Amino acid sequence: MNYTLQFGQVTGYLPYLAAGAWLSLQIAFLAFCGGMVLGLLGAMGRSFGGVWLDRLIRAYVVFFTNTPQLVQIYFIFFALPDVGILLSPYQAVLLGMTLNAGAYLTEIQRAGFLSVHRNEMEAAETLGMNLWQRVRYVVLPHIMRVLFPPLSNQYILMTLGTSMAAIFGVEELTGRAFNVNAETFRSIEVFSLTAGLYIVVTLIATLILGLVGRYWFRARMRLV
Amino acid sequence: MWERIVEEAPRFFGYYNLIFLLKAMGVTFALSAGGCVVGLVLGFGVAVVRRADGAWLAPLRWLLTLLVEAFRRIPFLVTLMLVFFGFQVLNLDLSIFSVALVSVCLIATAFIAEIVRSGLDSVHHNQWDTAMAMNFSYLQTLRYVIVPQAWKVILPPVFSFFILFIKDTALASQIGVVELTYAGKVLNNRGFSAALVFGSILLLYFILSYPLARFGAWLEQRLAATRD
Repeated sequence: MNYTLQFGQVTGYLPYLAAGAWLSLQIAFLAFCGGMVLGLLGAMGRSFGGVWLDRLIRAYVVFFTNTPQLVQIYFIFFALPDVGILLSPYQAVLLGMTLNAGAYLTEIQRAGFLSVHRNEMEAAETLGMNLWQRVRYVVLPHIMRVLFPPLSNQYILMTLGTSMAAIFGVEELTGRAFNVNAETFRSIEVFSLTAGLYIVVTLIATLILGLVGRYWFRARMRLV
Repeated sequence: MWERIVEEAPRFFGYYNLIFLLKAMGVTFALSAGGCVVGLVLGFGVAVVRRADGAWLAPLRWLLTLLVEAFRRIPFLVTLMLVFFGFQVLNLDLSIFSVALVSVCLIATAFIAEIVRSGLDSVHHNQWDTAMAMNFSYLQTLRYVIVPQAWKVILPPVFSFFILFIKDTALASQIGVVELTYAGKVLNNRGFSAALVFGSILLLYFILSYPLARFGAWLEQRLAATRD
């Protein structure tokens, strides 16, 4: 073992990497919001829609949860241009992550929907609420308490999942780490610094989500 | 797009391409299965040490907690790169497959250690106290009291982690392990259309993962029924 670690050569890139981490967080946040909307629609469709809608959504969920996100994005990025849909790497990654997240979040939110008592739904119906009002005023406040921990867990996993964007040339944290690696050839130093940044970023996210969950939704959550 | 797929399909699904794809599928399976078996063994060890009392174990406990928390927060791609370049620093000449396998083992150990820990915690603490009152040692308590009850809680999430890793090992293609995704890239570079290649790769992953997911769901139901 004749290798001396030289962190001095890469610490100068710390602001550059931190800006990349910010982009990672943005991608994760956007994909998560998109996935939440898809998941909410999916869960509503599966719980209140007809048989065919249920089958369609189930096929979507099963397909997207049983294939790798990376290959899904490959397909979007390399195969869709054949039918005339040309996406930038950033758009392709975002679309892939949103679709993938939508599948997982459909399942999570459906499990929450199932936990709502039937009587409550009937009471809301009797009060003349339409489907959207029922979801907004009866289902959501009720299930957020149960739902928030798995949702925040999914968000952390998605933050880690954004590292995939590097493969398509998006300059988020891992992408920038590859860049710094190519410039300095201090691979182990760069990637351990990157790993440290990911740990810091996800720790902060866990802390914020834990606080929100505890005080807003009265969910039982670990803070760290 | 369709004409092109129909035109290329017979050539794409030729004998040697199929062998190539099936072998790659085997590598994907071996990588995730091997990683999870090692991860289960090591993760169990980590959880057991973290639960043990004894002041002299405290530094080890701290170290293990730190490692588990850290590796659960590092993306798999970055872990791969760390292990890849880490072995270079250590001057070890390992095959690319072993590098990927070690990375999977590391991540699997960290995640499964948490699963095992919550599994051990799921056994009521009266059981721990009773075993202690009967003068069982820590290992005897685990062997005769806790594990026979906890394994039913531990196994289903470990299985779903295994399925998760069938998908996550797609990232190992980045360091050049010839698994399913890498095979897809090779075939795409050979000139087959991306829609055909990556569509088939998606389908192959699905064929690999879906029966296992169904089996996992069945296992979970089955074990939940026998648990009380």
